[in-house]
Amino acid sequence: MTDVVEGPAVARTLAAGSGSISYFRSGSGHPLLFLHAAGGAGMWGPFHERLSGSADVIAPDHPGWGGSDDLPELRGVDDLVYHYLDVLDRLELDRVDLVGASFGGWLAAELAVHSPERFRSLVLLGPVGLRIPGHLVADLFLMTPPQLIAALYHDPALVEQILSVAPETDQIIATYRELGSLARFGWRPFLNNPRLESRLHRISMPTRVIAAGEDRIVPRVHCERYAAGIPDAELVVVDDCGHALYGERPDAVADAVSTFLTERAGGRS
Amino acid sequence: MKFNFFHLMPYPYLPDDFDDLEKYPSMSLTYSNGNFDPARGVQLYHRYLDELEYADAVGFDGIVVNEHHQSGYGMMPSPNIMAAALARRTSNSSILVLGNAIPIRGNPLRVAEEVAMLDHLTNGRLVSGFVRGIGWEHFAHSVSPAESRSRFNEAFDLIRKAWTTPGPFEWVGEHYEYRYVNVWPRPLQSPHPPIAVPGAGSPETMRWVAENRFLYVSVYAPTAVVKTWFDGYRGAAADIGYEVEREKIALAVPVFIGENERSAHEEARRHVEWLFHKGLRQSLEMVFPPGYMSPPALRGLLKANLKPYPELSYSELVEQGYVIVGGPESVRNRIGELRDELGFGQMMTMLAIGDMPAELVRRNTDLFASEVVPHFRTALATAG
Repeated sequence: MTDVVEGPAVARTLAAGSGSISYFRSGSGHPLLFLHAAGGAGMWGPFHERLSGSADVIAPDHPGWGGSDDLPELRGVDDLVYHYLDVLDRLELDRVDLVGASFGGWLAAELAVHSPERFRSLVLLGPVGLRIPGHLVADLFLMTPPQLIAALYHDPALVEQILSVAPETDQIIATYRELGSLARFGWRPFLNNPRLESRLHRISMPTRVIAAGEDRIVPRVHCERYAAGIPDAELVVVDDCGHALYGERPDAVADAVSTFLTERAGGRS
Repeated sequence: MKFNFFHLMPYPYLPDDFDDLEKYPSMSLTYSNGNFDPARGVQLYHRYLDELEYADAVGFDGIVVNEHHQSGYGMMPSPNIMAAALARRTSNSSILVLGNAIPIRGNPLRVAEEVAMLDHLTNGRLVSGFVRGIGWEHFAHSVSPAESRSRFNEAFDLIRKAWTTPGPFEWVGEHYEYRYVNVWPRPLQSPHPPIAVPGAGSPETMRWVAENRFLYVSVYAPTAVVKTWFDGYRGAAADIGYEVEREKIALAVPVFIGENERSAHEEARRHVEWLFHKGLRQSLEMVFPPGYMSPPALRGLLKANLKPYPELSYSELVEQGYVIVGGPESVRNRIGELRDELGFGQMMTMLAIGDMPAELVRRNTDLFASEVVPHFRTALATAG
């Protein structure tokens, strides 16, 4: 599931803020900006490859993740919104399809609220970002690595397989850096913007919210509230899948994205 | 050499099945306060304050309190309250607050005010320590560990300026904004109470402590590791052209003295094990949550390959120098050797170890005061 595909996608660099960010770009079709989850940076995997069969996929690493610099001047999610608007401007992209997973789903929703005219469609994969008392997102900062893996994936065999390989020191440090970046943007309020839900009505593009059938990190009600709050939104569920979504079932999730783009977004372009 | 009596004030009454690691992954953050018995709380606070007051009475140079949150490991969310309770019941020893965890305070000026008050209440016997707070305390008070260091730095700069610069002045920083900074009272000591900072090997901390000539205090670690910290501090000072006085370096360590070598180990073992195996039971994520350390600092930590405290056996704890246990003569000798090897001029001795009962703490305190302290006073007098 995390195998890196040998293909045309190679990491490129784009100047941003006080440094630069790293991004992949591959495929043909309408441009699609993919915003990764708290994990999954620096990687072009089966999910990306499949999406790129029908879209021009642009997959940047967030500042502080993967091959991107920290850009410490960015301190909150609103800074990341402006960061990605800058990225779109620099790449001269207009009206892209916007797809975000988990933390990236939150960013995608904030972008769509801020500048609905810049996005042709929106897909949120198990997004965080809403404040729902009584249904808080799991405290992944406090989990040990085995606890986190077990919470992310539904298939126990997959969990066992991932845990059977001891991580290299470099991998531990890279993960620590990325979770530290997540703490920078999402420790308090905990992975949410208390104002976001009341702003969802601004999202005018067709939207699909994709929930994992067995999500142990983000309670289902988060997806339901996104789907209810965004005027033209539908909720679909990928069964037999944990919060990792595109990491656990890349083909099924990519198909759920592509089908929607063909049916809803394509017709309006 | 200065000897200070350090108290953690733990809550010693654990459930019988506390060894169930699934049920009780730690004594901090997630360990329910349903396990706290208020009636015992009253007894414990007064017993522990008695022990600190006794240390003052038998000649310790200082008595030490510290700050922990949402934990049975240490019951002092506010060390300043403990220091205030001690201020009028003691008269000789310094009172060291080690320290106020300023990054997790919402309002650093409140700390500046309280410490300034304590300086007056103690008639200038106060030593003011500042700490970042352990990782779990950033969970406990919802402060991002990724901001911990910059909040510490800014809060410290603000507090020092509030103590030393006549107000009102304005403060507009990254984390704190005040239109009027004008704390009453100003501290008694001039320019402000002495500052102490615990360190655990961070080069940034060593450099900062050296530049400011603060007291640098170790935390639980093997002697060989503490040596690298103290050497690092001296090195950082040398880089800026000054030689650290021994008194600016303090070794913090649990010490137990028995009547003889064998009985000492027999008596100390279960309490030392309580401290390291129960009190300090905590995951890496709790201690070093994401953002708390820089990635290079984590690399250094992984490279040091230190065992988690609960995995250290009693004999490893003794052999590696996490604790000092023995008869009077061997403890005295060991402290002398460590002083020569590590070059410290103060000790933060933890003589109330884990769930040690009051009688044993009292005897330990008496033996330390009578069998150890005078020896080093004499040595000093002779040397001087």
